Amino acid sequence: MNITSIFIQTVIGGIGIGSLYALVALGYSMTFRSMGLVNFAQGSIYMVGTYFGIIWYRGMVMGLHVPYAAAFLIGLLCNALLGILLERIFRPLAKLDLMFMLLATIGLGFILDNLFTIIFGAEGFAVDSPLSSTPWNIYGIRVLPQMALLIGVSALLMIGNQLFLSKTKLGMAMRASAVDFEIARTMGIPTNRMNALALSVGCMMSAAAGILAAPIVYVAPSMGAAVGLKGFAAAILGGLGSIPGAIAGGLVFGVLEALSAGFISSQWTKAIAFIVMVVVLMVKPSGIVGEITIEKV
Amino acid sequence: MKNKSSILKWIFIGAVVCLLLVFPAIAKSRYQVHIVNNIGIWILLSLGLNIAMGYGGQFNLALGALWGVGAYTAALLQTRLGVPFWINLPLSIISAAIMAAFVGLPSFKVRSHYLAIVTIGLGEVINLFLVNQDELTGGALGINRIKPPSLFGFPINTDERFYYLILIMVILGYLIGRQIVSHRIGRAFRALRDDFQAARAMGVNTGYYQILAFAISGAYAGAAGALFAQWNSYISPDIFEFKSALIVLTMILVGGIGNLPGSVVGTVLLLVLNEYLRVFERWQLVGYGIAIIVVVLFLPGGVVQLAGKFEDFRQRWLARLTKGKSNVEEQRNVP
Amino acid sequence: MFLEIDQLTMQFGGLVAVNNVSINIKKGEIHGLIGPNGSGKTTIFNVLSGYYKPTGGKVSFEGRVISDLPAHQITAAGFARTFQSMRLFKSMTVLENLLVGMGHHAKVGLFQEIFDPVAVHREEQKFIEKAMELLDLLEVADFANELATSLPYGHQRRVEMARALATDPKVILLDEPAAGLNEIETESLRKTLTKIRDLGVTIFLVEHDMKLVMGICEIISVLDYGKKIAEGTGPAIRKNPVVIEAYLGKEDDQ
Repeated sequence: MNITSIFIQTVIGGIGIGSLYALVALGYSMTFRSMGLVNFAQGSIYMVGTYFGIIWYRGMVMGLHVPYAAAFLIGLLCNALLGILLERIFRPLAKLDLMFMLLATIGLGFILDNLFTIIFGAEGFAVDSPLSSTPWNIYGIRVLPQMALLIGVSALLMIGNQLFLSKTKLGMAMRASAVDFEIARTMGIPTNRMNALALSVGCMMSAAAGILAAPIVYVAPSMGAAVGLKGFAAAILGGLGSIPGAIAGGLVFGVLEALSAGFISSQWTKAIAFIVMVVVLMVKPSGIVGEITIEKV
Repeated sequence: MKNKSSILKWIFIGAVVCLLLVFPAIAKSRYQVHIVNNIGIWILLSLGLNIAMGYGGQFNLALGALWGVGAYTAALLQTRLGVPFWINLPLSIISAAIMAAFVGLPSFKVRSHYLAIVTIGLGEVINLFLVNQDELTGGALGINRIKPPSLFGFPINTDERFYYLILIMVILGYLIGRQIVSHRIGRAFRALRDDFQAARAMGVNTGYYQILAFAISGAYAGAAGALFAQWNSYISPDIFEFKSALIVLTMILVGGIGNLPGSVVGTVLLLVLNEYLRVFERWQLVGYGIAIIVVVLFLPGGVVQLAGKFEDFRQRWLARLTKGKSNVEEQRNVP
Repeated sequence: MFLEIDQLTMQFGGLVAVNNVSINIKKGEIHGLIGPNGSGKTTIFNVLSGYYKPTGGKVSFEGRVISDLPAHQITAAGFARTFQSMRLFKSMTVLENLLVGMGHHAKVGLFQEIFDPVAVHREEQKFIEKAMELLDLLEVADFANELATSLPYGHQRRVEMARALATDPKVILLDEPAAGLNEIETESLRKTLTKIRDLGVTIFLVEHDMKLVMGICEIISVLDYGKKIAEGTGPAIRKNPVVIEAYLGKEDDQ
């Protein structure tokens, strides 16, 4: 085991966790882009989506043991519905003072976190991978099959999302609605439904992230807080509102975190990753991929 | 010319003051006094946050961690060096205020939602420090056996005695807060919040006032921290987690954000409700989350907004009684 | 050398909003800035008040370069402005709006501000007196304790001007003060501007209302696409073919 293979392993782990962050960051960016608000409950939505899927896989519902793939789809579906519900809740919020908007989403996250703690208990559980738990050995580099699944499916989802947005009529309508609400409206695009769609997609992505990562990460109602914060940091890193930015930001963040945990100290990874975000915000608020907007006086 | 409602107001205030002064004697149990003491400490936190956020528009969600900074400063000074409370208190205030100023530095470059997340994160970093620096802070186990204050040898070690100390601090805190928000600083803060660019055009040194807002909230948190440490005699990092900042936030939202008496009202309301409802902590927190959303959507001005509507009604009711013209117009006074 | 805008250029990415503009304003003058929409007028104001740092050239005031100073220091140096989109402080009364503007003159320091209520009160009373004088001048003194944004539009405009004057400026930048005013109100504005000039304040004015501009401005600078295309007295500008072309050309495009 030489330093190179450890390094590559760490980076792959980073890409894995980064895919998680990227999917969550997508949620933030899509909500921001379409409704102009930052959804601080995104981390909680990630947690909720994970539970929606995993409880079936683990046989926690009436003892039914549902295959992983099916549980995955159920989780996605539930979160998609959640997204539609959220759009209804967010609609009045989007018109309010920024402060109130933020506080309401923080409150929402709080409700979800604590509600799920009441239902499922504060203790979490470990989830078995549907694939083998012995790592593959590729030229001396060990990769968990679940990690490969996480990276693979995440990539598929992100590519799929990108294609959806740029190639399909519905996707383009969504983008138009995000760019200019009023104009889209006059063109007959049902903007509220577009927003609901954007939110649904964002929530689905978060659920996917959680369910895919569940066998690797521990599942507990408190998992949303840390991931939510980091996902947001990743979204900012890439430029809030930018889809490719969210992906780039997430991956970079994940790799940074893995490297610092592997080579520095795991206790401070949270702080380090976070300080990186603060620095980025202060130096280039538009993120690495984002656009520059001029503030009109 | 004193009009009727002004006299009524003073009678009301007088009654409240008398009540406050004799409370420990008329309280039903020691436990009640304990609860009220707890409320007092949270009122200090609410006052501080409301000044920074409600008036100044600065998101200081690191408030919980700053409270911790104040508490740990006092606790360490007391347990390691035997420093008396009366010196710990100003030191806690200063250390928390300085830390708050650092937390506020990003506010120069960073807007509302980013600022919120930055302050949450910085609060977490501070908490991480408190948990990890075992040797200094006692780590996750915290610090215990913190001695209570004493005044010229007279120990303030019962809830009844603490009550008066806390009462004085809260009254001072409120009066100072009122002085701050009613004059130049308060106006500068509100200008910051109403229209940042216009404030700059009017000569308001926005950077200075932003940091000041943070520092002031830090000072209040520091005072609350020192008090808490020497009252509770035990502190640990989990008390000062983000959750506590959120609770304070709920208190000022429910009471009336941007309204100083609202901080008191919201704090008292929520903590008293807590006691009466006696639900599990988790449900309390869910309740707080719901309260935030309800307030934001339906009553952004908080409970105080309700009282405002009531005030008008009460005025008109009085006017009808006295058969004079309505006092509503005459109530307007120069700010 | 009172107010000197020296080869000012302002570039945003690929867009050049202000292109090498030089304008010289004398003390006590009422100077107008006109031009078709998008010609860079408000951008120049924004540079003058310190929101943008120029990408080229500089602005000097009373011999001192001010274009690199932060906004509140520029105000302290003696500049005040009003906004095209009128930006009164919405949570404050008319009087409070003005008091904000006077804040930077306060002699009372931070410690006294919190712990010496008597000194604070004394100074505040002086400020209130001065503010009421200004409100009187602009004929809105009756509304001193009303919420500023609850006033009718024309009154709000005057409050905004009073607020700008409250900062005790040497130069006041007025961004389309006649926007939304009818004929009577515009005439009243013209009188107000004269009163302001009589106070010793230099006025730099962006406006679309030609009658007002011609009626009150001593010198007028004309911008088009970020460049200065003409400068002179009202009658001279009116007859200037380049100016006519710039305005007519815009009409043709539309």
